[in-house]
Amino acid sequence: MTEFLTAAVGFILAMLALGLVSILRGPGDADRMMAAQLIGTAGIAVLLLLGTIAGVPAAIDVALTLALLATFASIAFVKKGLSRFEADGAGSTEDK
Amino acid sequence: MSIATVFEIVLAAVVLGLAIWTIAVPETYSATVGFVAYGLLVALIWVRLDAVDVALTEAAIGGGLGGVLLLGAAARLRNADPTAVETPCKLVRLCAAALSSLIAAALVAAILLLPDPAPTLAPAAVAKAWATGLANPVTNVLMAFRAMDTMLEKVVLLLAIVGVWSLASDPAWGGRPGPRHEADPHGVLAFLARLLPSVGIVVGIYIFWTGADHPGGAFQGGAILASMWLLVVMAGLTDTPPVSSRRLRFILVAGPGLFLVVGIGGLCLGPAFLAYPLALAKPLILGIEVAMILTIAATLGLLLAGAPERSEQR
Repeated sequence: MTEFLTAAVGFILAMLALGLVSILRGPGDADRMMAAQLIGTAGIAVLLLLGTIAGVPAAIDVALTLALLATFASIAFVKKGLSRFEADGAGSTEDK
Repeated sequence: MSIATVFEIVLAAVVLGLAIWTIAVPETYSATVGFVAYGLLVALIWVRLDAVDVALTEAAIGGGLGGVLLLGAAARLRNADPTAVETPCKLVRLCAAALSSLIAAALVAAILLLPDPAPTLAPAAVAKAWATGLANPVTNVLMAFRAMDTMLEKVVLLLAIVGVWSLASDPAWGGRPGPRHEADPHGVLAFLARLLPSVGIVVGIYIFWTGADHPGGAFQGGAILASMWLLVVMAGLTDTPPVSSRRLRFILVAGPGLFLVVGIGGLCLGPAFLAYPLALAKPLILGIEVAMILTIAATLGLLLAGAPERSEQR
């Protein structure tokens, strides 16, 4: 069972690395933030699996914290981004 | 080479690569997003190193609140006039690079020159855990063995909020921090802001409560509570309180104040400053932590909300 879970961690890490490539390439801010959210979700999955494999139940608490704060960060991103577009006036050239 | 070692090497390589990219990328927004992802991955490394307390703090501060703070800064910088930003000359940049490399080299040397085994007080801290009745050695060190440091840290938080408030313009002084957020009261954001805090408050209090015996504590719990409060503010369901509010200021000084009172009580009635009587150690620590989680949540929330911008009436 542990081997299977470890393999799953490896697979998720590979997906996480793909998300990193997406952060590097962009092209827009929103794409980068979505990739960061994907990495957050992958990180939560890795934490839960690692906690089970290594027998560290507290890893679940870290996953909980990550889940709550990743949601918060994405909403803050949208709010700040929106107020920026409004401030620009014509503004929405960047998200096209 | 086992699978675990491969995993660690890959993770370290990814984090290093991301860190270099975050420094090198020219746009502030991209660098901020890179920093958020970096905080997440570093939290994974801390769990891998069995430092779950640090991982919790990193997830809450590095990836979460710190990322949001930087996002706000990046948004402001982008709104500002780009011509006002002047690029430093080549010599300054070279000096900065040389200084950074020197610091990095000194850190590497310090780590490589550590005696093996490294000097540690960890066994002593674990051996004395019975004195407080708390099983988490980190909480023991923070709240009992090195309580003085923790108390002063809370005073630093207070100074930080005074520093942020002092950036307010004269007419806005005593007003509400941050812009007034408007959102569709029947929209997704308002719905989420009603749903998520009910979960988040429970998780925040749980992280704080479990800190007595397992990784966790008032700081991490307070960070979660602060983020939930700001979520409600951003959805326009409530407004930030005016900084002249007496109740708010009372909450801000409650944590360090109670800490100081208990410390002076130890000086007057007991042997030393911050010496807890053995029988009362656990209730006293819990009491201080309850006051501290409120102070930390309010302080972190206000630090993120920024300087007062609007007069009290609006």
